[in-house]
Amino acid sequence: MRNWLPVLLLIALLCGLCAAMPVLEPLFRGLQPDKARVIYQRESLFFLLGHHLMLVAVSAAVATLVAVAAGIFATRPSGRDFLPLVSQVASIGQTFPPVAVLALAVPVLGFGEAPILFALMLYGLLPILRNTLAGLEGLDPTVREAALGMGMSPWQVLCQVELPLAGRVILAGIRTSVTINIATAAIGSTIGARTLGDPVIAGLVNGNTAYVLQGAILIGLLALAADSLFEALERAWGAGVAIANK
Amino acid sequence: MPVTRSLPDPRAPNRVVPVLAGLALVLVWSLDFGRIQPNRIVPGTGHGLVSALGWGGAALISLALGGSLLLSILPVRRRYPCLLVLITVLLAALPQLLVVFAARQLPEGAPYARTVIGAGFWCLLFLLSLMVVEVLGRLRARYGVPLLLLALIAASWLVLLRGDGLDSLSLLREYQAQPGKFEQALWTHLALAFGAVAISAVLAFALALRMIRSPGWQRPILGAVSFLQTIPSLAVFGLLIAPLGALASAFPVLQALGVRGIGWAPALLALVAYSLLPMVRNTFVALTDIPEHLTDAARGMGMTERQVFFQLKLPLAMPVIIEGLRITTIQAIGLTAVAALIGAGGFGDFIFQGLGQAAMDLVLLGALPTIALALLADALLTMLAASLRPTPARA
Amino acid sequence: MIELKNVTRRFGDTVAVDGIDLAIETGEVCVLVGSSGCGKSTTLRMINRLLPHSSGEIRVDGKDITTLNPERLRLNMGYVIQGTGLFPHWTVARNIALVPRLLKWPQARVDARVRELMTLLDLDPDTYANKYPAQLSGGQAQRVGVARALAADPNILLMDEPFGALDAITRENLQLEMLRIQRQVRKTTVFVTHDIDEALKLATRIAVMDQGRIVQHDTPENILRHPASEFVENLVGKQDRGLKLMSLRPVRELMTAHARPRPATPGADALGEDDSLREALSVMLCRNLTQLPVCNGRGEETGVIARERIIRDGV
Repeated sequence: MRNWLPVLLLIALLCGLCAAMPVLEPLFRGLQPDKARVIYQRESLFFLLGHHLMLVAVSAAVATLVAVAAGIFATRPSGRDFLPLVSQVASIGQTFPPVAVLALAVPVLGFGEAPILFALMLYGLLPILRNTLAGLEGLDPTVREAALGMGMSPWQVLCQVELPLAGRVILAGIRTSVTINIATAAIGSTIGARTLGDPVIAGLVNGNTAYVLQGAILIGLLALAADSLFEALERAWGAGVAIANK
Repeated sequence: MPVTRSLPDPRAPNRVVPVLAGLALVLVWSLDFGRIQPNRIVPGTGHGLVSALGWGGAALISLALGGSLLLSILPVRRRYPCLLVLITVLLAALPQLLVVFAARQLPEGAPYARTVIGAGFWCLLFLLSLMVVEVLGRLRARYGVPLLLLALIAASWLVLLRGDGLDSLSLLREYQAQPGKFEQALWTHLALAFGAVAISAVLAFALALRMIRSPGWQRPILGAVSFLQTIPSLAVFGLLIAPLGALASAFPVLQALGVRGIGWAPALLALVAYSLLPMVRNTFVALTDIPEHLTDAARGMGMTERQVFFQLKLPLAMPVIIEGLRITTIQAIGLTAVAALIGAGGFGDFIFQGLGQAAMDLVLLGALPTIALALLADALLTMLAASLRPTPARA
Repeated sequence: MIELKNVTRRFGDTVAVDGIDLAIETGEVCVLVGSSGCGKSTTLRMINRLLPHSSGEIRVDGKDITTLNPERLRLNMGYVIQGTGLFPHWTVARNIALVPRLLKWPQARVDARVRELMTLLDLDPDTYANKYPAQLSGGQAQRVGVARALAADPNILLMDEPFGALDAITRENLQLEMLRIQRQVRKTTVFVTHDIDEALKLATRIAVMDQGRIVQHDTPENILRHPASEFVENLVGKQDRGLKLMSLRPVRELMTAHARPRPATPGADALGEDDSLREALSVMLCRNLTQLPVCNGRGEETGVIARERIIRDGV
């Protein structure tokens, strides 16, 4: 339970701020006395938060599926020829700045949700793929050897031995991917996605620091909440395996 | 117990290149190779492979791709060197295809008409690059060969881009439309990114030494820098506006230096904050991970602590520290593009201006150099780290 | 019964195993011994089809193994390797239960079998069943590895340098343990090692391998007495073959037995019936004694052994 406390606190704080932003008006007024409006109200903050989350969650789910499948394929005997290329692509791909990938998706797919989802998936794939490969390739070879030698089928070895043992590393990859994607989705406001980046961009365009601050605080909290969620997940996972990996 | 994995037989057929070449063939025939736009904004008409390059050009490309496909599966001696030469020539000649396209399809007497690179061309470029990566991997090529290839291809592209045949290319039109701005953006981008990396490298080294001297600092320092890294860039830039603005209005000296809520100051500050985690972590790990028997041996032979640090620990730690520098630099180059949102300049300016004006070529003019810079920094620092590795990596 | 007929294995251009013939009888312990790279591990791994053989034929109980499903084949062969290959994310009990669970035994039977095996291998079930492999010592982990291999009562046991990574004392203990267990369960065993002393101690028959070929296949005694080549002679040690022969024979064979067991003298040096002649001689040389009492497992003195007798008839 202690693991989950920070997560719950951060989520409560995030939702609380989304709901209670107007209450803080005097505070923001002090910051930005010259503007008629200091609380972002073009769109409900809850709506933006939900949308932001949805974009990240969908892209993370698809990216995880694709990356884990590709990682498994490249480490099987039938796909081993592709392993050098796949791992090269995973590491070279990560040198592409996320914002550039986002920008490149627009000429191909136009403005709106499609390019941002596409860019998030594509970019989110890479850390997961890289970690899946590292996790599967980093296993003690004698464990796989023993598993096969005892008569487990390749499928049983994969599901009962390899994936559980590589799981922590894969989870860490998903964590990196989600952290990056929360940040990239925020920048996605510039290409027409409705996310918590909206207040920041609107504030920058109109010179309204109060808007910028509201958006920035919420984005920061969202990132921290997601990060602590993964922290707790890794701990929960570790409770069973920590001793095993000592 | 030896786990025997048979080494790949260099004569065995390659299964990766045929897949890539086949995919390239399909895509280059099915997607638009290029488009002709009457002006900057109107989408214009797309041209497929045959329409863009004529039957001759289409046949030439198909022949080259088919050739590399066959080369990779037929029992050929010196398969990979042949493939490498073929693909390199193809890559180096890619801009020439655009020249042919412009000459064939650009309408006469339409000064605003421009040629736009299509999806087919991009896919061809992408898949050819993957093929080069694959072939270089099979050849176990070290720094020399890839560098030579890169130089060859870059030189050929520069010559072709500077020639007259590609004046109509939209990317070049955007470049020429704002003379001097590109260079300015380049320098701003480099100054911000490398300034941040340099500052954070010095800071990180100091922090790592602090952590080694007093282990009590380890948790707070690592906790703080990884907290900074978790906050999304847009939020950090946003959060810095108000305090820096307040500082500037409180201290006129700062204002005179150009410190304001927006601009280079918050950008640099945020970039340094971001760069700390990989730098601190790698420096710390590299310096503490030296095997104890080595330091014991060094001390046992009579080296002073100072000598142990400078002659043993630092050289052994260098590759890992450079790896941290590499991660940091790539990240800083990308984030500098985002910093354009708070008026810091750099290539991000083109990206966001382009997005604002729905001018896709302006977006490309910002995004492509950003990617190129990141790839270049990656390649150079990877080579630096490899060359500093005290024991040669085994093949 | 395992038969290898003209079996060859190539890796690219190199021949790892070169047309070997080998017959391993049911219930015997066949030890493959040789220096690293001689093809002994490769031979072992071809028997359970972890490596396919390039040519030749391998039969297990009369059936060509290439006609069998590899998983079914392996489920009937226990497999123990150096470094144990225990699954780090499973407890000791779950590791041992691996094959019975793959064979879908009912849970109660699995649990009973796990307890039985842990007891057989001298691991207290209540203490160790729920530990993870990382919490065990090297010797304990290797015991679990052996228990896991024996779990579903396979006919055949394949062991690839199982004690190679252990310290000398633990290795010695496990070798004795293995002899004890082998007397109880009588598995057809193929055991790979580079340690000739281990081979001499454990084998019914030894196959000496060099450069992918079997250079001699015989009982330990014959290997020591009549090495087939210079290579085998060097392997078994030119100088101390006499002592090695002595270590094959137990004290029981040369002692002068008492008519009936009598209580042992407390505090005096004594040997066990199963100790080797080599140990007996060593103790006598150390203590400068001419004879020593011999005790049985219950601590009763059953006879005496004389130094003269060992020197005269020991080899």
